[in-house]
Amino acid sequence: MFRLPLHGIRVLDLTMAWAGPYATRLLADMGAEVIKIEAADNWDLLRAFTGQPPSVERVWDKSPYFNHVNRNKYGCALDLSKTRGRDLFLRLAAMSDVVIENFRAEVMENLGLTFDVLRAANDQLIVISMPGHGQSGPERDFVAYGTNAEQLSGLCSLTGYAGGPPQKTGISYGDPVAGIAAAGAIALALWERRRSGRGQYVEVAQREILTNLIGEHVLAYAMTGRQPDRRGNRHSSMSPHGCYPCSGDDRWLTIACETDAQFAALCQVIGQPELAGQERFADVVARYRHQDDLDAVIAAWTGAQDRDGAADALQTAGVPAAPVLSVPDVLADEHLRARGFFELVSHPVAGVWEMEGPHWRMSESPGHVRLPAPAFAEHNDYVFRELLGLSADEVAALEAEGVTGRVLNPAAHE
Amino acid sequence: MPSQAASSLSDLRVLDISDGVAGAWCTKLFADYGAGVIVLEPPAGHPLRRHGPFPGDAPDPETGALWLYLGTNKRSVTLDAGTTTGQNLFRRMVEEANVIVESFAPGRMAELGLGFPALRAIKRRIVLVSITPFGQTGPRAGWRATNLTSFASGGQMSLTGEPDREPLVNGGYQAEYQAGLQAFAAAATAAFNADALEVPQHVDIAAQECMASALELYLPWWAYLKRDISRRRGNVLSAMVGLFPAADGHIGLHIMPRNWPWFARAIGRPDLIDDPRFKDNFSRLQNNDELEAIVYGWAGSQDAKELYRTAGAARAPVAFVHSIGDLLESEQLQARQYFREVEHPAAGTLTYPGPPFRMSEVEWKEGRAPLCGEHNEALYCDEMGLSRGDLARLRAAGVI
Repeated sequence: MFRLPLHGIRVLDLTMAWAGPYATRLLADMGAEVIKIEAADNWDLLRAFTGQPPSVERVWDKSPYFNHVNRNKYGCALDLSKTRGRDLFLRLAAMSDVVIENFRAEVMENLGLTFDVLRAANDQLIVISMPGHGQSGPERDFVAYGTNAEQLSGLCSLTGYAGGPPQKTGISYGDPVAGIAAAGAIALALWERRRSGRGQYVEVAQREILTNLIGEHVLAYAMTGRQPDRRGNRHSSMSPHGCYPCSGDDRWLTIACETDAQFAALCQVIGQPELAGQERFADVVARYRHQDDLDAVIAAWTGAQDRDGAADALQTAGVPAAPVLSVPDVLADEHLRARGFFELVSHPVAGVWEMEGPHWRMSESPGHVRLPAPAFAEHNDYVFRELLGLSADEVAALEAEGVTGRVLNPAAHE
Repeated sequence: MPSQAASSLSDLRVLDISDGVAGAWCTKLFADYGAGVIVLEPPAGHPLRRHGPFPGDAPDPETGALWLYLGTNKRSVTLDAGTTTGQNLFRRMVEEANVIVESFAPGRMAELGLGFPALRAIKRRIVLVSITPFGQTGPRAGWRATNLTSFASGGQMSLTGEPDREPLVNGGYQAEYQAGLQAFAAAATAAFNADALEVPQHVDIAAQECMASALELYLPWWAYLKRDISRRRGNVLSAMVGLFPAADGHIGLHIMPRNWPWFARAIGRPDLIDDPRFKDNFSRLQNNDELEAIVYGWAGSQDAKELYRTAGAARAPVAFVHSIGDLLESEQLQARQYFREVEHPAAGTLTYPGPPFRMSEVEWKEGRAPLCGEHNEALYCDEMGLSRGDLARLRAAGVI
């Protein structure tokens, strides 16, 4: 085994909510030393999604959402809006490799922490910003979260039931997408830095990266001038291609046939081999034209089937099919468990539970949940005493001035 | 930005022997930022070439939208990896590569004599990236999948769609794009590490795990609190988060607690800010139905595009659902020169999405997709030293 791929890379993480912290989770999973910086009045919003009564002791350290997204990171409290806090941040920047933030475009300017300022502190620093709209343009200061990015990207306009309105993806889809892209951009910047010896500035505009994930529709529009119709779960060429109800409550099976052979196999599995020979289903074109009939036949079969058993039977026959896994299904999924996807984490305040492990599976240096998410200000001593070399008295003075602290102000996100 | 003459990633070399959207998107990202990417197409052409639409509705393997988009800046050579000769050629290319991207069913690369141990024996620092629906191991490693079934396996589909309808796949190929983007970031990370420390790596990317890692608060709440709030909720999660019909389109709200006063002012209802029913997040959730009625009533009379401008200027997280046409007309995207016109010898000049992110020291290149086998001579003859006669022999044998 080798050490983790990003061992020795220090990341100052100013990001909050999901997009940025998802990016730094990827880095932390791969061994980077990620130091999450919060402040008493400006702490990560995800700490507020506790699902527990406010009276629970240190409830902000028990938010499962926060604790999943921020595992493998360190945390400290440092108020960048105070002069002394900004000075200390610049000293940390001088000994770090990456600074990452996902504020609105203007915030780093207002803090006096533009790329030029950071570069002056450390010319090898990679600085990455993840604003919703980018650092320029008439909308750059508009506030946008991950759901807004999806609306602005064009993706929502493509998603939806036939004849229905645009639909949102169930998750705040723009967030993880921007986060993955940021992690990839950092890796490219690290590669480049090994050659040039210099850092650089990277900008991920959340709405733009998401439009790249529907890029073929931009070209299609350029070719046809037409906005495609929303078509539910159907596909432009494959049929059947749908989501069918199974026995039980809210249990669904997806099926997609790419070829005639897969369709013939499907007909065997559902006990109607003669269907494949019927004129209305005999070939790709006929099936496409008679999808309503075909979907009714398949739904009549699935409706009486156990979802997972039907999926197994279809897969055994070589037909692409998969259950629509609910969130509890995902956590219980025997395939993911066989791969060791879920790992126990022990958190000093929140306790012990299972969470998803690193999903970049590296053969020679497998990642794990090595460290629980930081309690608020948990690693102040590491940052202020060890890294910055301050004395206990100096740290106490910083606490007295409100530059750092041990306790957050719950009112900041009420 | 970029502020000055950019260096490139030209000494990062990628071999793409994958056959789907995920792999092609992964290697497109490398190619567009300047890495040298060679896509190995079966002699009949890459499977993505079959997908339309096509200009003038005339099917042509050189002009399908999916291929044109995902093929940019790559060099194309044809190679039948199922033949011994093809495998020998592939092994020679591995000597010059940093990253190999494949998406065969698990075990197929080993059958071809191209498994990770064999590749590592050829190139000590190789990074092999395998992108599959379920990963290289586990009881479902051999399951077949498409974007639809893959989206279902990752948990995200169970959250998407209306509660009284079937779960819904989102637009395009998002299960594949997510896996491909993760594969790109993982591959770049592994390549950086291999370059620095001479550590090879087989990177196993399972689309299912990629999506299961991005289940927002739903998986964490279930795992920790044993509370399942993961039902489908359609377009409206609450009065403060969702898509609402406007007079001429749809608007999206995402109002977090700190955005509330800005939002109330933006909709001309400053009286709501301190209304006891809505004064803090808890109250707004308690009185969600009342607030939702207010939002629906207000949104229905709004001009979505005009509202987007005024609400944005007023610091309220309000967006409108952009159609593809709206994207092309967006003042913001135009000001940032996001879209690019790219010429292609068979498809003509078309509008392409621009850089997914912008780097001050690494240039993002506008470029086009290669014709099938366009670089056979350049690679096989000029770089690998085969003669034109050898090329003819390979062609006759169906290898290229």
